[in-house]
Amino acid sequence: MIRDLIKFVRGNGALIFVAVVYLWSAVAILSYRKAQTPPGVTIELRIGHWQLEAGVRDAFEKMAAEYHTLHPEVSIVQDAIPEGSYGTWMTAQLMGGTAPDMMEIGLGVPYNIQLAYLSRYFLPLTTYLNQPNPYNRGTNLEGDPWRKTYKDAMRGNYQQELKEYMTVPLSQFGIRIFYNRDLFRKLTGLEKAPPDYRSFLEACRTIRSRKDERGLPYTPISGSGYHVGMWDAFMCNPLTYGAVRRADFNRDGNVGCDELFVAFKTGLLGFDFPPFQAKFRMLRELTDQFQPGFTGLGRDEAVMLFAQQHAVFITTGTWDFGSLVEQARGVFDVGVMDFPMPTPDDPEFGRVVEGPAFERPQSSFSFAITRKCKHPEVALDFLRFLGSQPGNQELNRIIGWIPAIQGATLPPMLRAFEPRLDGIWPAMPIDSLGGETTVKWGQMYSLFQVDQIDYKKMASEFLPFYLEHGVQELNEFNRNTHRGTAGVEQMLAGKQERAREASGVEALSEWIKYRQLTAGQLLVRNLDAGLLQKRLQNGVVTNATGPYEFNPELIARVRNHLHAQEKELQ
Amino acid sequence: MTHSVKRTWLTMMVALLLVAVAAGCRRAATDDPAHRLVSGWNRYCMGDFDFAVRNFNEALVRVPTNCLLRQRLLHGLATTLDLRRPGEDPVRAEQLYREAITIAPTNDLSAWCWLALARMKNLPVSGELADLDQQVRAYQEVVDRFPFHPAGEEAFLSQQAARIEKPDEARTREVLTALETFIRMHPQSPWLSTAYSLVGGCCAILGLPEKRLEAALLELKTEEMDPLNTEPDMSGIYWKIATLAEFETGDFALAREYYRKVMVDFPTDQRVFLAKQEIAHMDDMESRIRQEGGER
Repeated sequence: MIRDLIKFVRGNGALIFVAVVYLWSAVAILSYRKAQTPPGVTIELRIGHWQLEAGVRDAFEKMAAEYHTLHPEVSIVQDAIPEGSYGTWMTAQLMGGTAPDMMEIGLGVPYNIQLAYLSRYFLPLTTYLNQPNPYNRGTNLEGDPWRKTYKDAMRGNYQQELKEYMTVPLSQFGIRIFYNRDLFRKLTGLEKAPPDYRSFLEACRTIRSRKDERGLPYTPISGSGYHVGMWDAFMCNPLTYGAVRRADFNRDGNVGCDELFVAFKTGLLGFDFPPFQAKFRMLRELTDQFQPGFTGLGRDEAVMLFAQQHAVFITTGTWDFGSLVEQARGVFDVGVMDFPMPTPDDPEFGRVVEGPAFERPQSSFSFAITRKCKHPEVALDFLRFLGSQPGNQELNRIIGWIPAIQGATLPPMLRAFEPRLDGIWPAMPIDSLGGETTVKWGQMYSLFQVDQIDYKKMASEFLPFYLEHGVQELNEFNRNTHRGTAGVEQMLAGKQERAREASGVEALSEWIKYRQLTAGQLLVRNLDAGLLQKRLQNGVVTNATGPYEFNPELIARVRNHLHAQEKELQ
Repeated sequence: MTHSVKRTWLTMMVALLLVAVAAGCRRAATDDPAHRLVSGWNRYCMGDFDFAVRNFNEALVRVPTNCLLRQRLLHGLATTLDLRRPGEDPVRAEQLYREAITIAPTNDLSAWCWLALARMKNLPVSGELADLDQQVRAYQEVVDRFPFHPAGEEAFLSQQAARIEKPDEARTREVLTALETFIRMHPQSPWLSTAYSLVGGCCAILGLPEKRLEAALLELKTEEMDPLNTEPDMSGIYWKIATLAEFETGDFALAREYYRKVMVDFPTDQRVFLAKQEIAHMDDMESRIRQEGGER
């Protein structure tokens, strides 16, 4: 018998080895999971995110422990995945049906794919977000719909394309200028950060004129290819706001790349438009304060220059706030200041700066619940816990970020990051009409950034190319809208079936969503494109009024209206 | 190999067979065609089109001909083959839609099948729109068959939207008349707000500012309210009314009212700053006109 057994083992060695390894790994995984699960736990939920910062993981650990105290049967385990592989990981998990119960949304896949994922793999949360959050009981937000308890009323989280709220955001983010207080004081003799553009430039010039112990000049602003975009977005781009009045033809408040092209083509706008000139002049003045060769440097190199006290200013967001302060601890004092916009009496920019830059108060660090989740009600409850006034305050206190919920207090240093809701926004999307003009613009703009060409040269090289190739690209832009029709209809057919399957008020809601989506995405979406084409066909119109300007006929109407009113009063 | 080892192997095989049989029994429970229909649509919504097709096909062989469940399964399969990308099969999809219609030619689902058939013919190819006459004819077939059904109403509005996609004054006038007739004849239609939106589009093409503003106000008035989302974002339509009143009709009082609605109801909206500027802009214009009048 033993001999037979040995013979059998010899004959089937490979198979037995595989079976043993499989059994061993299964036991190992099960025992590891069991060891992770506290006693008494019957529900284990997993939450996936890409925030590898120590603060975030600590915060989740602590909040999960607190939630476990309230609900001993529930345990929350986090899957922290590096940013670089998050998209691949998310895709694999969702398609393989092994995704965690809650997932952070917003990184790793293009927007249209993200939208498809949200529609396919995640649960709509609209109904729950319109109900009060029970964890707000006893606060001033008790009884308010959860959505309304957010600082931005969750406006940025509404998926217009799906007519649903799909995610629960937990933090807000902001970008500001950080500065080395001690070095600033030493080099400029000033105590306070410069409040406006002129005094900021003056301080930068003073800093540049000073030399360190090795005889090297100080750098006023630590910049890189990564950081220049922030200066551009927060200081230079908003100067183009005036173009809204000339090119926002559909009057939705924004200038689209198609509208901008038509405005250029019909003579309503050009590179001689003062707000456009101002934007590039300011960018040149600011980048003159960066270290040489900044476009070739990465984010970390710029941070190092700042941390080593060779530069005074750097711009970055709340996500880097903790690590910057940490690097400077015991070495120098870090200050936070707002972007120094020109004042209305600024001799150069005063005419075009109509206000401070608007900041979209969008909440992010957003989580969605997967359709495969076995306990969606518990996942929702955990998100309610994190999205309540006390829960959100605690979560963000541990991380060092800005809470997303009204009334949740934030550390004094972060107060400088509160978004500005009243201000101007960019209106020159010249880099996104189509392939060829985008590439050409990129080339010209890069040369301008490194001071190889001036504004005049950039404009004269780009404009003829833009006007010539733009027409074809505008047509392609419109064709791309039509190319999406099959995808839209695919989604609408699913919505229609969901409405057919539902009953009562849910069915009514689903049919309304279906009709609103059909109207917005199929029926009326091409009206503006047609009108824009008509405007393009009409060609250059001299003395044409912009969409936010009064033409003589309208002024006559208003005059008659006022006269009629006055007569009535008499 | 001795008998005892052979017996052990045999026992293991029998156990495996029993497990397989048990799994098969469990599977039998999910063979219910109604369950397969739901499962098929769930797979469709998740983009698992092969599984959706399998679910619909496997259920179809289990249902009798001419039953309503069969019609729903045919519609599900047709939709999947029509709209899946890649792997679409429009020829087979059309056959299936038509087969679904023959089961109950006048019922609700048949109306939607007819609309799907019309949409199939109008799908842009390589971004180019289908021929307008073809689009109009395809939608007209649905309108003629189901003039007061939501699918027929959707077909009518799709038809009119296609006709004004490339602005042409004469055609736009016809569309405007057709839409006004629709609004008169379908006062309870859930599509009223969309119809007014299209009327506004026609007025924009034809240069009828007063009528365009009126259409925008009626678009807002007839907007359907989702009972599960009671506070929708109306900033877009408020903004549209305010700017039309200010720049198209010169009705500054109405413009101020709607700019203020944006400012009060949506204080975090980007356009609040511009709304404040426009209110000041109108104040300034009025005071200049008054000043002119006084000087005279």
